[in-house]
Amino acid sequence: MADKSKLGMEFPTYTFEVEKGKIAEFAMAIYQREDKDQVSPLYVNQEAAQKDGYRDIIAPPTFQTCFPTWAAGGLMPIIQALGINLFKLLHGEEEYTYLGAIHPGDMMTGRAKVVDMYEKEKKDKPGKFMEFTVIETEIRNQRGELVIKSRSTLVER
Amino acid sequence: MAKKIYYEDINIGDAMPAFTSDPITRTHLVRYAGASGDFNPLHHDETFVAMFGMPRVIAHGMLIMGITSRAITEWIDNKCLKNFKVRFSGMTEPADLVDFENTKARATITVTGNVVNKFAEGGENRIQCDIQAVDALGGVKLTGSFIAALPSK
Repeated sequence: MADKSKLGMEFPTYTFEVEKGKIAEFAMAIYQREDKDQVSPLYVNQEAAQKDGYRDIIAPPTFQTCFPTWAAGGLMPIIQALGINLFKLLHGEEEYTYLGAIHPGDMMTGRAKVVDMYEKEKKDKPGKFMEFTVIETEIRNQRGELVIKSRSTLVER
Repeated sequence: MAKKIYYEDINIGDAMPAFTSDPITRTHLVRYAGASGDFNPLHHDETFVAMFGMPRVIAHGMLIMGITSRAITEWIDNKCLKNFKVRFSGMTEPADLVDFENTKARATITVTGNVVNKFAEGGENRIQCDIQAVDALGGVKLTGSFIAALPSK
C-alpha cells in the first residue's frame, strides 16, 4: 500500500539526450514496422519535417515514455520510495499535454512529483479499496522550455 | 502524415477514420521493449508470467497508447495535438504464431473516435475527440480522449 505521507514528494531530475536513431526505433515499434521508411516521415526525414514547419524531425506523441526508463531506472525508484506493492501494480492512466516539439539533440530533463494519492472502494468487493497514486512530470528542453506535462496514474489493486 | 483538416469542416459527432493495427506478436513486444526501455518481464518472459498463473505474456499498455497515437496522427497533424490521455482497461495478449489464424483477433487493435466538443481556448479553435482501442473480439484495451487545435479557413 502506498505511503500517503509521501504526497508531494519529488524525485531527482533526470536528463535524457534525444537521438535520431532512438526516435526512429520508437516510431518503428509503434508502427509495428522493421523499416524506417514505413513510418511517418516526420519521425525519420529531416526534409519532410522541415517542409511541415519544424526545424528538424520530431518525436512521436508518446516518445517521452522512454525518458525515465532509460534515464531514471523507470518506475522502480518511485515504487520503492512510495512502498507500492509491485505485484498489485497496474498502470491506470496516462496523460500528456503538449506545449512544444522534441527534436534530435535536445537534452530533456524531467522531475517527477507525487501530486495526488487517493483510494476508491472496489465495486465488486465492498470494504476493499484500490489505491491510486498520481505522478506528474514537467519535461523541459535544454533551453528550459516546458515541452510536455505528463501525468501517470498508478493503481494498486 | 495527416491531410490538412480545418476547424470549420469538423462537426460534433463526426467520427475519426478508424485505424486497425497489425496483429501484435511477441516480436512486436520485444521491439517495443527495446525502443521504450520497459523491460518488465511481464511483456516477454513466459516463465515469469507463469508464476502468476498467466497463460502468456501481455503487451505494454504504452504500446497500445502508441498505436493509438498513430491512429490520431494519421488523421490530424502532430503539431495540432495539444492533449492526449488514456485510461487502460484491458490487457492485450499477443497472437501465437503456432496458431496465428485462431489467435490474431485478440491481438488486432482497432482505434475509433468521435468528436465530442468544439471550443475556443488560448486563442485557438480546438476539438475534443473521445477515443477507444478495442481488439477484434470486442475487448476494450483503453478509452480516452485527445484535444487538437485546428487551423481555420
